[in-house]
Amino acid sequence: MTAVPAVTHGVRVPGSERLFRQVVLWVPLAGIALFFLYPLAIIVVRSLTQRDGSIGFGNYTEFLSLGYLWTVIGNSLVMSGITAALCVGLGLVMAYAMSRTRMPLKWLVSLALALPLLAPSLVQALGLIFMFGRNGLISKFTGIELQVYGLPGLVMANTIYALPQAVMILMVALRQADRRQYDAALMLGASPWRRFMDVTLPGLRFGLLSAAFVCFSVTITDFGNAAVIGGGYPVLASEIYSQVVGQMNFNMGAVVGILLLIPTLLAFYLEKIAAQRHTMAGEGALPVEPNRWWPRDVPLWGFSYLGTAFIVAVMGIVVYASFVQLWPYNLGFTLKNYNINLQGGYASLWTTIYAALITAVLGTLMLFAIVLAERNLSRTKAKLLYLLAIVPVGVPGLVLGLSYVLSFNTRAMFPGILYGTILLIALCNFYHYHSQGFLTMITGMRNVPRPLEETVASLGGGVGAQLRDAVVPVMMPTLVSVFFFLFMRGMVTLSAVIFLITSKLSVAAVTVLRLDQTGRSTQAAAFSVIIMVIVLAAMGVMRAALWWQARRARMVAAGG
Amino acid sequence: MRPISGILTAVAGTALLAGAAWAGEINVYTALEEDEIAAYLEQAAIDMPDVTINLLRLSTGDLGARIIAEANNPQADVIWGFALTNMLHQDIYSQLAPYDAAGAAELPPQFRDADGRWFAPTGYVGAFCVNNERLEAMGAPVPHTWQELANPVYKGEVVMPDPGSSGTGYLQIAAILQGMGDDAGWQLIADLDKNMAQYTTSGSRPCRMAQAGEYAIGASLSYVAMQGIEQGYPITMIIPEDYAGFELEANGLMAEAHNPEDAKRFLDWTLSAGASESYAERKDLVTIPGAPRPPQADAANFPEDLAAVLYPMDFASSGVERDGIIAKWRETVTEH
Repeated sequence: MTAVPAVTHGVRVPGSERLFRQVVLWVPLAGIALFFLYPLAIIVVRSLTQRDGSIGFGNYTEFLSLGYLWTVIGNSLVMSGITAALCVGLGLVMAYAMSRTRMPLKWLVSLALALPLLAPSLVQALGLIFMFGRNGLISKFTGIELQVYGLPGLVMANTIYALPQAVMILMVALRQADRRQYDAALMLGASPWRRFMDVTLPGLRFGLLSAAFVCFSVTITDFGNAAVIGGGYPVLASEIYSQVVGQMNFNMGAVVGILLLIPTLLAFYLEKIAAQRHTMAGEGALPVEPNRWWPRDVPLWGFSYLGTAFIVAVMGIVVYASFVQLWPYNLGFTLKNYNINLQGGYASLWTTIYAALITAVLGTLMLFAIVLAERNLSRTKAKLLYLLAIVPVGVPGLVLGLSYVLSFNTRAMFPGILYGTILLIALCNFYHYHSQGFLTMITGMRNVPRPLEETVASLGGGVGAQLRDAVVPVMMPTLVSVFFFLFMRGMVTLSAVIFLITSKLSVAAVTVLRLDQTGRSTQAAAFSVIIMVIVLAAMGVMRAALWWQARRARMVAAGG
Repeated sequence: MRPISGILTAVAGTALLAGAAWAGEINVYTALEEDEIAAYLEQAAIDMPDVTINLLRLSTGDLGARIIAEANNPQADVIWGFALTNMLHQDIYSQLAPYDAAGAAELPPQFRDADGRWFAPTGYVGAFCVNNERLEAMGAPVPHTWQELANPVYKGEVVMPDPGSSGTGYLQIAAILQGMGDDAGWQLIADLDKNMAQYTTSGSRPCRMAQAGEYAIGASLSYVAMQGIEQGYPITMIIPEDYAGFELEANGLMAEAHNPEDAKRFLDWTLSAGASESYAERKDLVTIPGAPRPPQADAANFPEDLAAVLYPMDFASSGVERDGIIAKWRETVTEH
């Protein structure tokens, strides 16, 4: 390398590192450009294409003049607002209980939080109806007919859907606190409550805002739950479905898709303002050890177990229903639901595992690269990158899927060649969940002390050594979280992928949808149970491998 | 990084192969139901053993969106069993090529396109799914018509699809409006709205809700009801005696078919004796003259000569009127 050394933070940067910095920045950026911005641009053009083919804002004025529109917008804001508040509140309780207290049965809580990520949203809504519906278990036992359809059902279903995503971000955020700050506060005589208010919460501000942003955005764009349990409570996401799928008016659907970006951008703006006051803590942080303090622990554990019980009950009833003859009329035990008598049977499952693995591997690498790059950017550039990385969360799956068809079904060699492949399905799933992965990753990156990186560098370690010795060890829990998150979502996401399956290539979530559409609710439940079992087993194996590797690394380190 | 580039290469390789159109293989897009497809394909395998049929099965709305989105580079050779109202959407109709399928000329003229771009050998009708247990508990009579469904005894126990998002919902209100005329029709729709618990986005969901016992009556389609009955749910299918409403299932050749020869053979086959016998066991409407009469046709009290009685639903103009009807429907149901 004969490159001219550049200077950053007063350290001379060798050529190989500069190359590395270029790669980690430009490869993910190229990915975002090709697989997100380009399809999004096509949607923007569609939204501006008027009925007569000319370009203008006609569709927007037409849509905004719809009489019932403001009700629908109001409904969406109320629903997502309540859901986000619930998810952040309960998410903070659960994340805190799991990482800062010695709560028994932590494994059960984290398992329960994985379940909603593992089941197609259709199945969760089925579970809620089996439980809280007019002919559900509770109505049957109490004789009181609950009205689950509408706002209550939507909030419940969306909370179950978004809560694990909030907990994922908050868990990572809680790791970044520094024990020494707590020790100092303790010595100054601060009460536990003051320590929480003055040390914990300020450190969490970024994580809390990110979690609220994600929960708000994913629920305002989600259509699946609204279709099954929304009842007479219309929301904006259903309007897209109605325009595109019901009336085959793409351009109008595109208008709603673009309008749905507004709350996301607004939330981004508010979040940035709030986060600006946030000073980076956790440089060289010592991890905070979980401790015991009954007045705090009892209520925290209570709420955590309550949330866990709720999720386990809803998913448990789906598992139960998969073993009965005919829900809810004949509750005799049977295994016949596991004999999927639909064309294709379980075949789609293996394709899906393959696709989900690509999503997870590719996604984790790309997101890791982009947060590494973000550290070396100027403030303005970092902001822009941040914006690019989190906009995908505001795009409804249905819009993303259609934009992929419009963008990639071309005759050209590239990128048209991707159309109809597993790779495109995997990429679509990755960019669909890009923002959640990115926010978790960047929260985790705040744990990596820059001084440590610089120490390794000054000791003559190259990029490889810095990554291996300074960054990866600290980032490992975050990388694992993001990997599993992408893997689980890749297994079950439906909304975008339904437009990318072909006559030769289908995925598991579509099979579940088809089973339900043809009236085989119990088989849909059974298929979902199989998905959950397989993914949990796969995760178990991967975790065991990671644990084994970590143990070996420790032994090597101890031995050397 | 090596395993990943390995995966990428493998995937790209598969893509190359999948992109090539092979003789003896056709891509068929369909909105027909899973169970009937399986039976038809069995028959097709006997009649055309040398053709491999790759099938993409989606619901009517999803499939329509897909075909329109693929307009720049169509992937299908044939569209099979797709709601005619959607087939006539300009962006889909324009992708079809005229083809004079063997036997199409014998269909009555309202069941085929004047230009030969589509023909419809089958169709389906609207139906109520009635949950026997729930209705019994309510002590209410079984409704046989839309008019009866407006009886206040059913208040809060009826579900139907939103015509704005579901073709099924649209065919139901279109049948009422065409049968009763505008004034009386909109009045009935407003009266029905008082009993309606909710309007669903999907056309099959009302029946699924009724079969789960969530509501007593779900307005849906006949085959959806039949599926529920087949699964063993305590429901009865009622085909409304006043305004059942129907939709034709159209077949057509894609202008840019990769394998037009086999695609045409397949289309000929959809009108063949072998196919029409398979239809009769499952369909509500079979328009092929001389085809065996399906049992549902009796249930719906359809006369022998269908062509003579099915009011000539003008699918082409109903596509144009659709936006207006949907807008007026939304006004009507949000007034209360």
